[in-house]
Amino acid sequence: MKALTLVGITLTSGVIAGIILAFLNLGIVEPTIDKAIALEVQKQVSSGENVNMSELIDYRYWQKAGAFAGGAIYGAGLAALFGVIFVFTRNKLPGKNNKQKAIFLAGIMWFVLFLMVALKYPANPPAVGDPETIYYRETLYVGYIMISGLAALGMAVIWIKTRINSKKIIIPLMYAAIMVTAYAVMPSNPDKIEISMDLIQTFRVLTATTIGVFWGILGIIFGSLWDKFLSREQALEAKLY
Amino acid sequence: MDKLSYNLYTPKPTHTEMSTTKQSTVKALDSLPVVIGFLIAVLVFTMFVVGYDQGQLFSVVEGQSAFDTMWIHEFTHDMRHSAGFPCH
Repeated sequence: MKALTLVGITLTSGVIAGIILAFLNLGIVEPTIDKAIALEVQKQVSSGENVNMSELIDYRYWQKAGAFAGGAIYGAGLAALFGVIFVFTRNKLPGKNNKQKAIFLAGIMWFVLFLMVALKYPANPPAVGDPETIYYRETLYVGYIMISGLAALGMAVIWIKTRINSKKIIIPLMYAAIMVTAYAVMPSNPDKIEISMDLIQTFRVLTATTIGVFWGILGIIFGSLWDKFLSREQALEAKLY
Repeated sequence: MDKLSYNLYTPKPTHTEMSTTKQSTVKALDSLPVVIGFLIAVLVFTMFVVGYDQGQLFSVVEGQSAFDTMWIHEFTHDMRHSAGFPCH
């Protein structure tokens, strides 16, 4: 039963945070995506391609609806990882209560799984990206996430298991050394950028912000639900024993 | 693994109630690895759907044409871009 509670609060918090992310994106990020798609269409039209604008508008409405489904799925997936890590690290995380601990962990995960990766392979709007290189770029992206994630995991294990002096300095430095090496060694995104860098930079800043807010919301909801359900169950068990 | 179950099940046993608690801990050990496995499976599947599918999932039903329509890719397209995944 308790295991089911863990699954329940994990997936619920992820789906809610993911849907909130989709709402945020609709207002903040979508205008940039629309601009990039307009550039794509402009290019198609100027190359002589026939574009049905009415169909395109309907299609974009469908895709914007899909972003909500995508947000829920994305949220559930990252929350699943978050839940697993929280179970293993809860006693070691700083914070007076589970909400604070969850927010702290969410911040770390945003930094490790999004921000560090974005420094090497930043988000791009439509109109950037060659379909021919998609599998290569996906491999690079997953590889870099794995490097950053596993390095952070390794540092967490060292942090917990060892009692070395100045670990607050040494361990972040070790993580930084791994990431600097990975940054230098991993190949760059092979695609050429042919649209305005202003649009791309705006898109990157906005997405980093909304994904950061997503992680914060995930931490708040997850920590609150943990306090509400699991802490109550633990208290109940304590009375029973 | 004891640490894991302890993390979720904080109440501490008294000596006289040790047998009941032992039973409860065994329960925790039985179910938690399953839960962790399930959550990891959710992670892998959802990230594939949102970030990587190029028609593979629907090709199981639709065959080769799924790689042209890329229904899942198109439906999650805006979230895929916004979350930083490679696209197009």
